[in-house]
Amino acid sequence: MSKPLLRVSRNLGPSTVTLLVSLVILFPIVWLVLSSFKETGELFSYPLAMLPSRFTFVHYRKVIGEGFFGYVFNSLFLAVVGTAITLVISAMCGYALAIYRHEVSYTNLVFGIFLLGTLIPGETLTVPQVTVISELGLYNNIWGVILPVVTTTTGIFMFRQHYLSIPLSFVEAARIDGSNEAQTFLYVMLPLGTSSTVTLAIFSFMWRWNDYILPLLVLSDQKKYTIQIAIKNYIGFNGVDWSSILAASVMSIIPIIVLFIILQRYIVGGLSASGVKG
Amino acid sequence: MKTRYVKRHVRAFWLFVAPCLLLFSTFFLIPLGLSVGFSFTNYDGWKVMNFIGLANYKELFADTKFYQSLGRTFTYTLFSLPFKVIIPLLIASLVTSKRVAIKGLARTLTYIPSLLSALVVGITINWMFSAEYGLVNFIIQSLGGTPLQWALNPKLATFVISFASNWASTGFYMVIFIGGLNNIPQEIYEAASIDGSTTRQTFLRITVPMLAPTTFLATLLSTVNLLKEYALVQGITQGGPGLNTTFIIQFIFDKGFNQMQYGYASAISLVVMVIFAFIAYVQFKFSNGGDR
Repeated sequence: MSKPLLRVSRNLGPSTVTLLVSLVILFPIVWLVLSSFKETGELFSYPLAMLPSRFTFVHYRKVIGEGFFGYVFNSLFLAVVGTAITLVISAMCGYALAIYRHEVSYTNLVFGIFLLGTLIPGETLTVPQVTVISELGLYNNIWGVILPVVTTTTGIFMFRQHYLSIPLSFVEAARIDGSNEAQTFLYVMLPLGTSSTVTLAIFSFMWRWNDYILPLLVLSDQKKYTIQIAIKNYIGFNGVDWSSILAASVMSIIPIIVLFIILQRYIVGGLSASGVKG
Repeated sequence: MKTRYVKRHVRAFWLFVAPCLLLFSTFFLIPLGLSVGFSFTNYDGWKVMNFIGLANYKELFADTKFYQSLGRTFTYTLFSLPFKVIIPLLIASLVTSKRVAIKGLARTLTYIPSLLSALVVGITINWMFSAEYGLVNFIIQSLGGTPLQWALNPKLATFVISFASNWASTGFYMVIFIGGLNNIPQEIYEAASIDGSTTRQTFLRITVPMLAPTTFLATLLSTVNLLKEYALVQGITQGGPGLNTTFIIQFIFDKGFNQMQYGYASAISLVVMVIFAFIAYVQFKFSNGGDR
């Protein structure tokens, strides 16, 4: 046997195992997608077949007819606006915590306050959070589900780490050239932070798109529902409206999977680089 | 001159951190304070709010449903934790192995479930495990077995939730472990292979010990995420049968938002917060923060 062939056969076993494992992991999603194209009769009768005997869009049509794109719009608004705010304020905060560390003596104290956010699970504060949201008049308002979640310690931490790695002489050079603090941030330092920005943007978008607890508790008017809440509403007191919930779930995961496939190198690179030491 | 310069920078510092600090105070620190305050009252989320001292805490420590819910949460966490850490570690070793050809594809496919919302994860797995016309029961039947009542049996229902949770987090922890594996110096592996170490020996004697900090991180994150499992359960059992899969966060929400006992719910929240922090502290001490 020639050498390359020998290598291929030696590697065939592990490669096949790996491929099989990853296909098994993906399988539940494949099953969800294929099921969503089956007719209701076929969904609820044995024997089950892998592929629909006839592809039908009837469940999709029903879900869309019930105003699904309105919920998509609300979710997009939450995800895009929430992510934009997260990026701007995290960059500002992380920048300040890194750059003024020699001039302001309490930067670590301020950073410590934000770290509290990672120590205490947000879920244990949901009850009083809803009280605050109501008191601010943000009940049943999309801003009531955006503003409470845009501050993320992860984001602040990421930008702080990033700006700690950039020499302070950049800032000093800009100052000597007469740039004020805001200009230094905007024109000198911000453009240097692109890779953390993309990683955080993807994660933030995904978090907001998948947000569940606050939208469920804060948005009461059906017109204001996000996708997740619309999906939840197919789970009734007497059981699940499977044919609709399958189609709605599939539509809810498409944007996030497309985004991931386009930008995945930032996720894998960003996650493994963000302070996880080996 | 010098002081004016520094003063300007102090002001700039505060302006830069102001948005985060303001939002964090409003939606995190104030609720934390309110939680402490409410826990001494009988607040119903609406009109009634009287100071009742430690009554909520007394009620809480005598509440069997609270202990049951907490115990259930611990059992669920302990049962799921090994799988949450070990399966991603094994997969990460596969997709970083030199002998595997399709690493990129395998990573992508494995990561995809991590993109789904907890609710949709619950729905996806629930669909496979539904008692009538579910795929798993179909396979069991085809092999000559009796279909199982996945939703009605408390143990099976907990298993399905655990399965869903593990399934959805595998990709995320795989990526964390890939980062850890890539940081192990290659020379160590070369030395081991020269010394005639087998694949299994290398994995157990080199990879596993060298990965200790990453494993610690994965264990800590998994523990917290398992302890606060909520949205996923809403896609599967909604806490049933009975209260058999009502974990502690849902217990708090039921008290607060369904039974309008904001005061009591706040007291539970604070106790749970302390318990969670204590568990994280013990893990941290036990593993020296993952340092070798």
